[in-house]
Amino acid sequence: MQLTSAEEGWRSTIAMATQSDAPPNSIHGKPLNPGSQVTEPTVDDGQNAKAETKKESSPTSVFVNSEPIREEQVQNAVKFLSHPNVRGSPVIYRRSFLERKGLTKEEIDEAFRRVPDQTPAATTTQPVATSQDGQIKAPSNIQQQAPIQTLQPAPAGSISKIGRFSCFHWSHALLAVGFLAVSGAGTAVFFKKSVIPRLKSWIRKVVLEEEGLQKKYKVKPSLAEEAAAAAKAAAAAAADVAQTSQEMLISKTEEKRRFEELISMINVQLREMKLMSNAIDKLEGRTHGRIPMEEQDDHRVSWTGLRQPYANGKVDADSRSVRSSSPSASVEPSVAPHPKSYMEIMAMIQRGEKPSNIREINDAPPNPNQPVPLPRLAPRPKPWDVGQVQSTLTNVIQSQESSNGVSHESKDNQLNGDDVVPWWQRKNVRITEIDTGDEQKFGSSNVVSNARPVQRSWVPPQPPPVAMPEAAAAIRQPKKSLLQKDQLTDEQSLARSADVNDELQRITKLSESGGAVEVNGGSSGLNSSEIQKEENNSHLEM
Amino acid sequence: MPVFKTPFNGYSVKFSPFYESQLAVATSQNFGILGNGRLHVLQLNPTITEITSFDTADGVYDLCWSESHDSLLIAAVADGSLKIYDLSLPPTSNPIRSLHEHAREAHGVDFNTVRKDSFLSASWDDTVKLWTVDRPTSVRTFKEHAYCVYSAAWNPRHADVFASASGDCTVRIWDVREPGSTMILPAHEFEILSCDWNKYDDCIIATASVDKSIKVWDVRNYRVPVAVLNGHGYAVRKVKFSPHKMSAIASCSYDMTVCLWDYMVEDALIGRYDHHTEFAVGVDISVLVEGLLASTGWDELVYVWQHGMDPRAP
Repeated sequence: MQLTSAEEGWRSTIAMATQSDAPPNSIHGKPLNPGSQVTEPTVDDGQNAKAETKKESSPTSVFVNSEPIREEQVQNAVKFLSHPNVRGSPVIYRRSFLERKGLTKEEIDEAFRRVPDQTPAATTTQPVATSQDGQIKAPSNIQQQAPIQTLQPAPAGSISKIGRFSCFHWSHALLAVGFLAVSGAGTAVFFKKSVIPRLKSWIRKVVLEEEGLQKKYKVKPSLAEEAAAAAKAAAAAAADVAQTSQEMLISKTEEKRRFEELISMINVQLREMKLMSNAIDKLEGRTHGRIPMEEQDDHRVSWTGLRQPYANGKVDADSRSVRSSSPSASVEPSVAPHPKSYMEIMAMIQRGEKPSNIREINDAPPNPNQPVPLPRLAPRPKPWDVGQVQSTLTNVIQSQESSNGVSHESKDNQLNGDDVVPWWQRKNVRITEIDTGDEQKFGSSNVVSNARPVQRSWVPPQPPPVAMPEAAAAIRQPKKSLLQKDQLTDEQSLARSADVNDELQRITKLSESGGAVEVNGGSSGLNSSEIQKEENNSHLEM
Repeated sequence: MPVFKTPFNGYSVKFSPFYESQLAVATSQNFGILGNGRLHVLQLNPTITEITSFDTADGVYDLCWSESHDSLLIAAVADGSLKIYDLSLPPTSNPIRSLHEHAREAHGVDFNTVRKDSFLSASWDDTVKLWTVDRPTSVRTFKEHAYCVYSAAWNPRHADVFASASGDCTVRIWDVREPGSTMILPAHEFEILSCDWNKYDDCIIATASVDKSIKVWDVRNYRVPVAVLNGHGYAVRKVKFSPHKMSAIASCSYDMTVCLWDYMVEDALIGRYDHHTEFAVGVDISVLVEGLLASTGWDELVYVWQHGMDPRAP
């Protein structure tokens, strides 16, 4: 993979830098940058103060990186970008790599400025050119070696496709060619052995006949006969020659055909192996979010391609691997075991089958120009909106809520029943209500106005008479848990400020004491310790 | 605690910001690999029942409720489109909009809680898009990530600031008034699947990654995380800050559990629920009802329960 070797280059430049420089400065991945940390607190305070005074319109927003450019990081980046392997990769992956190493935008831009620029067009055409060269080389070599002309176009065409895997197929092609040559030589030898003796014998016969004829020159028909016999023999020889040459041709064409078949079968096998390796990778869950493009093209079904929910781990190394993150030496997180049916569906799709339970659904909007309705309810203020910014908004909401609250309440009450507590609002629920006026500054989730509790769907029932006074006393004691949350009513909560680090917790009023006792009221046999334990559980609130 | 069974595998669950007893679930057929999708709208009174549901041609990966309209929902669909549904209209009039600009799957949507006028979509085509409900086309496209963007989250206090979490192992912080990202946090060594802001401290952001950890960062000093929360056995799929308690975080993971953390405490894990029998993929904390949690997973179940109680208790 390209980037791993470049990462090595990155690490070596870092090592060199740290050796040369006296103070060990920030190593990527272990961000300890004393220089920046010194500058940051001073910048922080200024920004914090500014952020508090001017809210949204602050030009020095907290969400901006205000570190100065670190020259060391820029130099490392320049070395990285100058690495020959890196130059072949698209610009966005180089940027992404540097971002992951902790460089800021400004540092990355500076590094790119310093490195002599390579246009993206050049980088993308380069790899294409090199691959084509490799492919063209192969057929030319074969052409030089093949003695027989007829086989040239076929192997050249098929070899160019598989030029990359030259080793295997070249030797195979050479073998085939050699075999054909040998067969040609063999037929030539066979020719020599069979034809020439025939010729010789024929000549000898003729000569003998000639001699015999000279003795009896009257025997013309015998001469003619002999001539005929010689002609027959010649014809037979010629026929033999023709036959053998034809057989040779046939064998050659057969060889050619078999060779082509072999090539195509090897191609098919290669493709299958590729698919299998991809499937294995996916089954092991190494791909995130997408699969290689060539697989999407292979499936001629109309759906746009697969999605793969990411599992853990890094992306597999295929032709698009440069696009993905290439984690360094750290251990890959273990892959979560996927459900069995998930694997089945993935395998089905790899094979090109579509799961049978998919329906054709038209989910287009029936009327895209449908006007968006007006809001019927005013937005409810969030618990974290402490009212500073939202003060004007809350005034508007007050008036709206008063009119909406009643209708809302009636709707929910119909579903609830007046006295039934919804199961999801029981026990540990803190329904925020404001009973006292001086808490108005801190808005709560439901109510904005002061001194008028908005009727919500769940009205806290009156706490029943306490069965066990010691239990009640135990309940009212503040708990020691770190996630402090008061069980008490307003007055008592204000009095006891245990380690509450969140002011809102103090304010959130509670009818929980009512709720809790109500639940425990049924089991009156509980002693105080058990009740305490129950309360402990309810302390783990959100 | 009541349970709802969905026909398809669950992907996301969100409580309504207007009604305490309403929530919506996004589901996809065949684990979201290939198939249809369905968006369910449920109500919790008296038990979990379905109010309505909408079918989509492709799986629904995420949803968000509108903060300005009580009846609007937005769904992120695996074919790259965003569909807007209006619950006040009959199902035959829905969806009211289909916004199709992403070239690949739309994986996350988030609605602005401050100005309440716009929403973001995060997509596997490496971009984040900004939309408003009334416009048929996106307002802006943020294209800087080098790989899939899995999640985008608005800052709860600053109307123009949001963060995006991507498979290129970085979280970017953006300001919609600026042309590009304003900060790049190389938060993890592996893909980052989710991010969320602290509702009570607008500079704190939590990131969840394939490396099984959740890291909490302060953007004012972003080189070193404020806290690293380990405890999940596999990739952490979603992270959510509590709307009621400043330092509480809920997370769900491929280890089939939903965990609760308090990042300010030494022993951060304060709750673990292992009710799911497959990947837990969606989790949400109710803004209106304190302590109410919901989760969904590939086991096709939606659980709603109070923190501290057993989700599977009847």
